Order: sequence, then structure tokens, then C-alpha cells
Amino acid sequence: MTTFIVNGQKVDVDLDPRESLLDVLHGRLQLFGTKKGCDHGQCGACTVHLDGRRVVSCLTMAVQADEREVRTIEDVAAEDGTLHPLQQAFIDNDAMQCGYCTPGQIMSGLACIAEGHTGGDDEIREHMSGNLCRCGAYVGIVAAIRQAAGQTATRQTGA
Amino acid sequence: MNPTSTAQRVDAHAKVTGALRYGADRLPDDLAYAVFAVATIGKGRVVDIDTDAAHRVPGVHSVITRIDPDELRSPGFIMANGYGFQSLQPLVDDRVAYRGQPIALVLADTLLAAVEAAELVTATYEAEPIAVTLDDPGAETITQAEAIPIPMLADTITGDADAAFAAAPVQVDVELHGPAQHQVPMELISSVVEWRGDTLVVHEGTQNSGAIQNGVAQQLGIDPARVEVISPSVGGGFGQKNSLQPHIGPLAIAARRLGRPIKLVLTRPQTFHQASFRPASRQRVRLGADTSGRLLAAIHEIDQQTSRHDLFPGLYTEVSSRLYGIRDFRGRQRLVRTDVQTPGYMRAPFEHMSVHAIESAVDEIAYATGQDPVQIRLANDATADPVTGLPFSSRHVAECLRRGAERFGWAERDPQPRSMRASDGSLVGWGVAIGAYPGSVTPAIARLSVDATGTITVAVAGHEMGQGIRTAIARLVADDLGIDPTAIVISVGDTRHAPQHLTAGSWGTASALPAVHAALGRLRTELGLPATGALDLRAEVAAAGRSRVDVEAATVGAGQPTEPVVDRLRTGLVAIAGPEYPEFVTFSYIAHFVEVRVEPTTCRIRVPRVVSVADCGRVASPVTAASQVRGGVIWGIGATLREQSVVDTRYGGFLNSTMEEYPIPVNADVHRIDVDFVDQPDPLLNPMGVKGLGEVAMVGVSAAIGNAVFHATGTRFRRLPIHIEDVLASI
Repeated sequence: MTTFIVNGQKVDVDLDPRESLLDVLHGRLQLFGTKKGCDHGQCGACTVHLDGRRVVSCLTMAVQADEREVRTIEDVAAEDGTLHPLQQAFIDNDAMQCGYCTPGQIMSGLACIAEGHTGGDDEIREHMSGNLCRCGAYVGIVAAIRQAAGQTATRQTGA
Repeated sequence: MNPTSTAQRVDAHAKVTGALRYGADRLPDDLAYAVFAVATIGKGRVVDIDTDAAHRVPGVHSVITRIDPDELRSPGFIMANGYGFQSLQPLVDDRVAYRGQPIALVLADTLLAAVEAAELVTATYEAEPIAVTLDDPGAETITQAEAIPIPMLADTITGDADAAFAAAPVQVDVELHGPAQHQVPMELISSVVEWRGDTLVVHEGTQNSGAIQNGVAQQLGIDPARVEVISPSVGGGFGQKNSLQPHIGPLAIAARRLGRPIKLVLTRPQTFHQASFRPASRQRVRLGADTSGRLLAAIHEIDQQTSRHDLFPGLYTEVSSRLYGIRDFRGRQRLVRTDVQTPGYMRAPFEHMSVHAIESAVDEIAYATGQDPVQIRLANDATADPVTGLPFSSRHVAECLRRGAERFGWAERDPQPRSMRASDGSLVGWGVAIGAYPGSVTPAIARLSVDATGTITVAVAGHEMGQGIRTAIARLVADDLGIDPTAIVISVGDTRHAPQHLTAGSWGTASALPAVHAALGRLRTELGLPATGALDLRAEVAAAGRSRVDVEAATVGAGQPTEPVVDRLRTGLVAIAGPEYPEFVTFSYIAHFVEVRVEPTTCRIRVPRVVSVADCGRVASPVTAASQVRGGVIWGIGATLREQSVVDTRYGGFLNSTMEEYPIPVNADVHRIDVDFVDQPDPLLNPMGVKGLGEVAMVGVSAAIGNAVFHATGTRFRRLPIHIEDVLASI
């Protein structure tokens, strides 16, 4: 039996050692906000926090999360439903289209801010490039992270 | 805009909280899992298949290697009055038509067991020689107009282009190559399929729930009324989810045999081989002009890849013949049969490459005649449709060019190639191109219900794949009734609530909104209310002495016969009107201005700045529309500088079928994209004045980038994508 702390709740799961954290979150715990886009750590749609750091849950074996804290998109808004400033910033900047990559973008964006990688638009872009968005919402995603990080846009073009 | 309208995307809250459910985001009780084993040859026959090891994996229930063709009939090809992305249904015989074709379906209690067992399925084959590129010896080239003799697919010919070209004092003759590419929507192709009594329920992210409903009914020989397809939100489609996928029929049969719901999620490499893609094409353009840059003749010849089992028709000359006011035009479209799954629609399926070819050639005419690239485009604008002689319902491409040039600062451009440099030594290039996309309309039925609490529910044909159709519908209803858009319940992509037509071709909003608009009129009539003005729906329903009011309206495209096309809508078949209507021709337009920088040592090409100005009629939803245009520009950047599905000429299939090796643009590839709209209502297409947007946004981007790369480097690159090594070799 493996014990996770998932979004603050203790969860006991009987695991096959081959199961990914993604398949356990999405496929067993019904935390559908964590998405599968590639299952190979290439797209970032399954990004969650493990002990406060961003990981791609498809490349994280579920047993590795034993006794550790997992945070998913479902735990980002406050209990009363108030959105986190980054979630609000995603809405304000229309930083999404189909929305499939959005939970992973937000989990990565939270980490990007916490890591201090918001010194300028180019730094944000670089540190958000593990999260693919096929609809092409990147301009809004950078603006949302900049807004939430409380910073103003730099004039760098990065070319 | 009504002050009660909000600008935001109405499903944004559900998206940022992870609450929005996509097709396969569900775990019904007693769920079983399915995984495909696939062919490892490029073409031939399965001689023997060994499933013993797979059966021995604990938790495996069955391995289906063959389904009787009477139990699972062909879905038919969507472009030949059918439902499938291809006519070929895997698992019904021993033929292998392409690498990656399913040869077995494993059913197990867990995903792990199903994956493990599928890996253990082995087969012996009789392999045959393959042809997978346009130039492979076994590829068969046929003339489209002869192979599919229907008027829509005939070659566009006006005047005598060959004579006019021969006589033109300035001539450009170019051949451009577009690679096979894949749509790569973030949401994998996936389903949860279950039987509830005699009713088949399919949860799947699709752009065409009506085709799944009617197509799987045809395949299984059941009543379509006994099939429910539920697809309220799609995690991106881009054309790959536009029809019945060949896994649905086998899943329905497996679920019936097993008596359990079944979930299938294709792997990413499987989405490259079991669904459609943008076919490779070769485009030869001959443009003739006078010495002032006046375009006199165009000859546009296309060879486009198709499969052996279906003829995927090309519509390249529909747009290239209308981009400018050229009197003498000759098109010729040929199809090249290769050993692949049937290619299909990918955002701006024909227009992207067609316009890339024409707009690259126009840029060469501009340089050959010493004309400014913006001025030559303005000077050759069409005043009426050169193909039919009919007026355009609206055409503001000149305004797109003028406004874009102003915003971009085009006047500062030195036309001399290699003349502009950045402070870091990068070569700077500025390029321009226009784009156009046909304005089509499909039939739609809208149903409105208002209950005693005043809550309004809208059900209509349409699918939400991120383009914002839900938001556009909410804004229309909210503005009409003077209510909060977030309080409106909207059902799209759900065959239980309204018949569903394919949502593609940028016709979604322009087809759904007229039906909703008509239904709003019916609602006001039903309640005895004036045609306009804000309403208190709860009070009006009570005043009418009703507990609930239901109304329905059906709309069709201009000139479409109502009964037959609504019948097609109800049976899940495509029923498209336009861009030629009885009295006018409709296209959407755009102008793109692009700056590229070519780093002098590595020759890496970056796109720091794009200005795009679109004419999509009235803008139905400004926030989501601007996002769509930025997305289309990014698609153009990917298509020009990155994306190519590399084929394996020895063994078939696509070599780079992962998100690591098929390089869609990432965040660091994208910089400033400024978007503007002409925002002039189209006076003829529909009462809202709305034209399409999602695809025109991408059209012309690649030519603008290519033209900018020429301006930066002095070299024309005729093969997409433009790679670093191409530029290195030229400098």
C-alpha cells in the first residue's frame, strides 16, 4: 500500500510498480484535470507538483510519490472557490483555447513564479517551453504569468 | 455590444480549474481498457498472428484479431457520402494497407495489462513493395477532374492562361514543396464507449458527433436513434477529429461482447498512423505580369498525395484563382496514390499551401518589376469574383493591407535583400502576404428552452474545440435578451440535444449563429414579445402562463434547398454551401506582416514580430477571435520553420511520430503577435454579418515568412519547412 498526500488529503492506493503517477491521478483518483497528451514527458499537460516542485506525472512512477505531497490543478483555487491570481490572470489574458493544456500550464506557471524565473518575457518563455499548447495561446500564457508575478513586460524581443 | 455582455471566454473558469471534462475523462463502473497492436510492415498481408502470450497476461479478457465484415461494415469515406476519415476499416480482413494499421485489439481489466498484452502480440506478414512519397516509383498519379468527375472538384479555368502567360513580358515559374504534416491536437484521440440497454453511448472528443452517430450505426446495422455521441468540449481538433475514427466500431462490438464500458486512448505515435494528416503536395505556379507588375495570367498545378483506398480531393485552385483579379487562370489538380492511411484535413487544408505558392510567386513578380510588395498586392486587388463574375459579398483585403502596413511600420523597409541588420548582427527581413479562405455555411438546427426560473438552454449544431463557439453563442443570446452570458446553458457537440453537423472549414460560428438568431425570434414570437429589447425571461414565462417554453429553428446556407440539406444534417452527412452562392461569392481575408531575424552563425530563423489584420466580417467574439488569429499565426510559424512528418521510404509510416520529434512551436518560438480586425459586417452571408476566421488566420503566414527570409538572406527557399541547413548552405 502506498500513501500519498494528494491535495492535502491522505490517500492509500494499492499500486502496480509500473503505474505512472498520471495514470493513478487521472485513471484511479478521478482527478481529471491532470491530462495525458503524450505519456512521454514531452508535452507537459500532466504537470503536477511533487513536494512543491513541478514534475511531469507521466514520467513519475506513482510509487515514487510514497509519503510525499502531490498537488494538482484541483487544489489551486481556494476552498471557497476564489481563484488563484494566476488562474484569474489566465482568464484575463485569454491564455487558452481548447483548454486541454491549461491545467499543466498553470501548474508549471505557479512553479515558474516560485522558482523566480519571471525576470522578463524571454525568461518566462524559456521556462514555460516544456508545456506545449497546440492552439497557440503562448502570448496570453506569458502575459498571464507576468501579470501574476506582478511584473511589467520587458521590451526584449528575444530574437 | 450590450453592456451586460462580458468579453471573456465563457468556459474559461472551468478550464483554469481543471473542472472541464473532455471525451475520455470518465471512469464508469466496471470499466475495461482497450489497446491496439499495430502492423509493422508498410503494406501486404497478415499471414499469421500469435496472441497466446497476450492472452496469458493476468487481467486480459480477449484479443480481437478479426471481426466479420458483416458485423462491422465500411463506414464509407467522408468525402464520398460516408462517415469515416477513410473507407478502410481495419480488423475485417488480412490486408495491411499502411504501417501502423491495427491488427489486434486487446481488452483487459487494467490499462497496464492491456498495454503489456498488446506488446506481446506478434504477427508474420507477406510484405509488398511500398510507395510513400510523391516521387516513389510505385506511386500512381491520376488527374482529379477525371477520377472524380463532379463539378466542385473540376479544375478552375478562366480565359486562356497559357496564351496570356506566354505573352506576358514578366514571367515567374516556381515549384514549391509542402511536406506531410500532422495536426497533433493536445487531446489524444480517445473514447469511452458503453451500451446502456440497446443504446450505444460514445464519449469522444470530436468535431463531428453526427458522423459518429450515423456512421457507427451504419457499420453495426443499428438505428442511429440508438446511438448517443457526447462531445461538449474537444481538446483541439484541427481537422484530425472531423469524422468517424475506425476504432469506434470495434470498441462498440467489444463493449457489447464484454458487457462492460470500454476506454481507449490512442498513443501519440498511433495518432500519427491511425488518423488523417496533411498530405504532401507539390505546387507549380507560373505567373505572368506586365512591367508595371499588373498580373496577367496564372497557371497553378498541384500534385497531392492520397491513399490507395480513397481519393482525398484537393481544392487548391478554389482560393488561388480568387486571390487577385487575374482574368486568365488555369488550375490542374492531380492526386498521387501512396501506401498510407487516407490523408485529410488539417487547418487551412488546401489554402495554406496554395496561397504559400501564389504569394511566394507574387513576391518574385514584385522584385522582378521593382514594385513594393504591398503596393503590387493593392494594385492587383479584385473588384468582382474573377471565376464567376459575381460580386464578393464583402472583400476588405486592401484595408487589411493598408492597416497592417501602418501598424507594422512597413514604410521604413529598405527593399534591398540583406540590407537590414539588427544590433547583434542578425540579418533582418520584412515580408508580407495576404490570405483568403472560403466562406462556407452548413445547415443548423437550434433549440431554445426557457424554464420557470428563467434559465435558458441553447442546443445547436456545433462543436467547441477551443475556437470559442460557445462564447460566440453566449454573446449573441446575451446581447439579444439582455442577460448574463454566463447564466446561459449551452449544449454543443451532443447528438441528444440537436442534430450535429461537422464543425470545420471555419463555418461553425457562421452556421450556428443564424440558427440561434432565428430561434431567438421564434422565442419572442412564442411569448408575444417585441422583436428586440431586454427581457426578464422568468417574468415573461410566468406572464404567458407557462412552466416552460421550447422553440426550434433551422437555417441553411443561401441558395441551399432546405429539406434535402436538413435531411443530410440529420443523417450526419456534410452539407456545405459556398463559397459560391447564387448571387455572390464569400471569402474571409487577412494580411500578415512578418519580421524575421536570421542569426548569422547558426542561421537560426526567429520570428520576433508579426502584425495580422483580418476581415472576418463582424467579429462575433473579440477576445476569442484575437486568440484564434494568434494561434493561426503560430501554426504558420510551425508549418514554415518546423513541422514535417518524415516518411520512411523503406518500411512505411512516419518516423517522427512523437511530440518530441514532430516539433510543434513551443513558447520560446513565439514573440510579439499584434492582431487587428476590419470588423465590417458582411451584408449578405447571414443576418449577423459574420464570416469564418479560424483558418484564414493561418493562410499566408508561411509566404510572409518565406518572403521575409528572402529579404533577409537574398535566397528563395522552395521547400517547406525552411531548415537551418538550407539557409547555411545558401549564405
